[in-house]
Amino acid sequence: MTVRNKLSENALQRLRIWLLLTPAMTVIVMLFVGGLIAGLARSLNYFPLIGLTEPNLDAYRAVLGDETFLRSLAVTSYISFTATAISSVLAVAAALLLRPLVLRQRLFYFMFSLNLTVPHAVGAIGISYLLSQGGLASRLARSAGLTDRPADFPALVADPWAIGIIVEYVWKETPFIGIVVLAILASVGEDYESAARSLGAGRWQTFRYVTMPLVLPGLVPASVIVFAFTFGAFEVPFLLGRTAPTTLPVLAYRSYTDVDLAARPEAMAISMVIAGTSALIISAYLALTRHYSRG
Amino acid sequence: MGLLLIALALPILPLAVWSVSFRWFYPDVVPSVWSLEAWVAVLSPANNLAAATADTVAVASLVTVLATLIGVPAGRALGLNEFPGKRVVELLILAPIVVPGVAVALGIHGLFIRYGIANSRLGVAVVHLVPTVPYLTLLVSGVFANFDTDYELQARSLGASALATQRFVTLPAVGPGVAVGALFTFLISSSQYVLTLLIGGGEVVTLPLLLFSFARSGENAIAGALSLVYIAPGVVALWLSSRHLSGNSAALGGLQKL
Amino acid sequence: MTRRQRLFHSLAVLAALAGTAAACSTGSSQNESDAVGLVDLEESELAGANWDEIVAEAEGGTVDWFLWGGSDQINSYISTEVADDMAEQFDITINRVGVSDTADAVNQVLSEAEAGRLSDGSVDLIWINGENFRTMKQGGLLFCGYWDVLPSMEFVDRDDPAVLFDFGTPVDQCEVPWNRAQVALIYDSATLTTPPTDIDALLEFACANPGTVTYPAPPDFTGSVFVRHVFYNEADRLFADEGGLDVLLGAFDDEVYEEVAAATWATLNEVEPCLWRGGDTYPADKPALDQLFANSEVSLNMTYEPAEVGLAVDDGLFPETTRTYGLQSGTMANLNFTAIPFNSSNKAAALVVANYLLSAEAQLEKADPAVWGPQTVLDVDRLPEDMQAMFQAVPRHPSVVAPEELAPLALPELQADWVTGIERDWSANVAER
Repeated sequence: MTVRNKLSENALQRLRIWLLLTPAMTVIVMLFVGGLIAGLARSLNYFPLIGLTEPNLDAYRAVLGDETFLRSLAVTSYISFTATAISSVLAVAAALLLRPLVLRQRLFYFMFSLNLTVPHAVGAIGISYLLSQGGLASRLARSAGLTDRPADFPALVADPWAIGIIVEYVWKETPFIGIVVLAILASVGEDYESAARSLGAGRWQTFRYVTMPLVLPGLVPASVIVFAFTFGAFEVPFLLGRTAPTTLPVLAYRSYTDVDLAARPEAMAISMVIAGTSALIISAYLALTRHYSRG
Repeated sequence: MGLLLIALALPILPLAVWSVSFRWFYPDVVPSVWSLEAWVAVLSPANNLAAATADTVAVASLVTVLATLIGVPAGRALGLNEFPGKRVVELLILAPIVVPGVAVALGIHGLFIRYGIANSRLGVAVVHLVPTVPYLTLLVSGVFANFDTDYELQARSLGASALATQRFVTLPAVGPGVAVGALFTFLISSSQYVLTLLIGGGEVVTLPLLLFSFARSGENAIAGALSLVYIAPGVVALWLSSRHLSGNSAALGGLQKL
Repeated sequence: MTRRQRLFHSLAVLAALAGTAAACSTGSSQNESDAVGLVDLEESELAGANWDEIVAEAEGGTVDWFLWGGSDQINSYISTEVADDMAEQFDITINRVGVSDTADAVNQVLSEAEAGRLSDGSVDLIWINGENFRTMKQGGLLFCGYWDVLPSMEFVDRDDPAVLFDFGTPVDQCEVPWNRAQVALIYDSATLTTPPTDIDALLEFACANPGTVTYPAPPDFTGSVFVRHVFYNEADRLFADEGGLDVLLGAFDDEVYEEVAAATWATLNEVEPCLWRGGDTYPADKPALDQLFANSEVSLNMTYEPAEVGLAVDDGLFPETTRTYGLQSGTMANLNFTAIPFNSSNKAAALVVANYLLSAEAQLEKADPAVWGPQTVLDVDRLPEDMQAMFQAVPRHPSVVAPEELAPLALPELQADWVTGIERDWSANVAER
């Protein structure tokens, strides 16, 4: 009797859980998975409504054989890797440095997290007014006698090294990662580190063997979010990037809004590549860090 | 510290100066003519700031309500329970966070047109659920992970009704975390550009769209003024919630769970 | 379960869920069998209606008008002057939908057609240029055949090739003329006293003043028209004995195209190291070039619409000493139009708006640089004399080249196929080379 009660209680509990989850699952399956599948179908030239019932790989062939696409893939990966790496390093450094100030004072915390609330589009526009060759920094350089004309100032926006884009990402994402790291530091306190120091560990050793393992569980997912975001973001490269080669999301959007309908399957193929590549790189990264955090 | 804060404020500075400038050409470090013309233009009815604000607020409010109704139960289920299939659920919830929105939006667009919800506030709000529901679910699951359900059981065993338990026990414990999540959901929705552009089809013009249109046509002064208008609500929201955020990792726990 | 089993389990569940979603998305709702195609007035719900009936039908309607929204002053003209007049005179509500690129509006109609939404579309009126017009016409996305019912068409010269062909595409009454536009070059008279007066001089000027000249990357509208001027210049040289650039003015000819294009790419590549940033990159679009010009990063700028330079000066974007002029070797001219999509949900009201925009009163108001400033598309000689006098009395903006100075330099536009070819090949042959 009690066993049966226990069982049905268990079943009830499970039912309850799934009922709670159903709305969220519905949204994700219908919109996210549905959107991906609709995109996948279109990328395979499968679109029964306009009489396309024979799926094929033409769009992928066209896209993967296109030098513009390959260069774009390289540029996108380069930007995401660089921006994520710089933001992560800066964030850990800033979090360690600012820990005493930020955690104790609401104002400092507020200042540090301020640009989390500033949309990327605004950041990008600000960066362009600041760093373009006719921008504020260039004008200051000229009034300091360092340059004579705009062209003397280094190209930092729409430049070959995507510096403007990376600066914007670092500017916006460093506080994001920093706050995640700070939250961990706050929750674990300084006891472990002081213990390590009192046991004779040097600064570097303490950092490497105590602090890092502590913050890694927050740093890894935070940097994954940053990588995924920068890999798929549209606004910043659209505003600060070069015309060619551009990043994949901009390329996909351009093909999608190309008035030539034939470009649509290619746009979908590019977006499938964006989805696939970012998923692949992220799982590789997670596997790698899991490996290292164990070893 | 000071240096860092300056670096953080630096990109905002030129926006502010541009917004009160007129004929600010290279090599002038400060505008030769100061003017409030851009603010007048931004506030003039012809430039649709009021309409864009209305669209932004309408969409973001709807998103916040829907995402909260959908994400809080799911967050509770995930935060409090171990159950078979949990990993699949987590995977599904994480997927929209790591897979870029652009990749999904192009596919969704065709579906929405067919079902007649493209080019409407409703359609835009629905598509904004893709980035917001997973975020809120994860965040709330983090909040609930720190919540001890024994308090609920105790309240019930002391004779409190289910509703009273939710009202006096659960809500005070998880309320601040959920409120911060809802606030940030509002911000996430109101900062969407590509999703809004595609699904709104030009008929739902939110603030980021308006801003892009001026920034892209070289109207720097107007773009500067509009930027300041656009970031103001987020700054206020952050200030209001910073009490709940500082030193308390619960609100950000959802992000750590990734 | 082992980890691997769990992974497979997850994938299986995902696949099943995905399958359900796909079934949902492709299964239901069959649309009406009508195909996408140009819709003629006589086949539409307005067939046989006279103008008064159309005006009556339009009453109380809303027109979703998609147009480029990047100019404060044009936005203001549409949202106040036009919108107020339409509300007062016809009880029509104008919903101005600002887009950053007209192709977005075309894309919208295209997406609706692709998704089977053949009526009750979300776009009622588009301010359109030649290339987008061709796309819409070829795609069967337009409402056509209504010139004879529009009272304002009376004052348009319907034999003018610029009215009959839009970038070589026969207009066939599928759009209504709105503004006359002609390319002009822009410079700052405070820093440059003698700007180059033809294409050859311009290319020489670029290398004599390295880093101060560039053009927006095609397919940007303005960048494309600059490259077309170089294209014309090469054709003039290559086919000097066969009538010069006349060889380009007809249907697309692959052989001629290849020859002229090769010469054009050679010339552009030769000048490239002299350009802004050594030609390493190009401004993405016209606004980007405007920005460079405003900051004196470049000394020459160009526009297909000189009136906009007046607006830019008034808005404080360009210095007051900015001037515009036409090249002695000629600059391209065309008209721009308003068009109604085939699936517009309110064609009567859209017709009333298009007719209003073409009316002498509206054309006169818009010609004033304080309002906007583009040239009228009306044949002023056909207007009543008092109207003619008012058009002559329209104030001039000091930064905008006088129309009577520019008009004699007008060159006809290429047909759209040539333009598409140039825009398609520029990137591979110049930008990425």
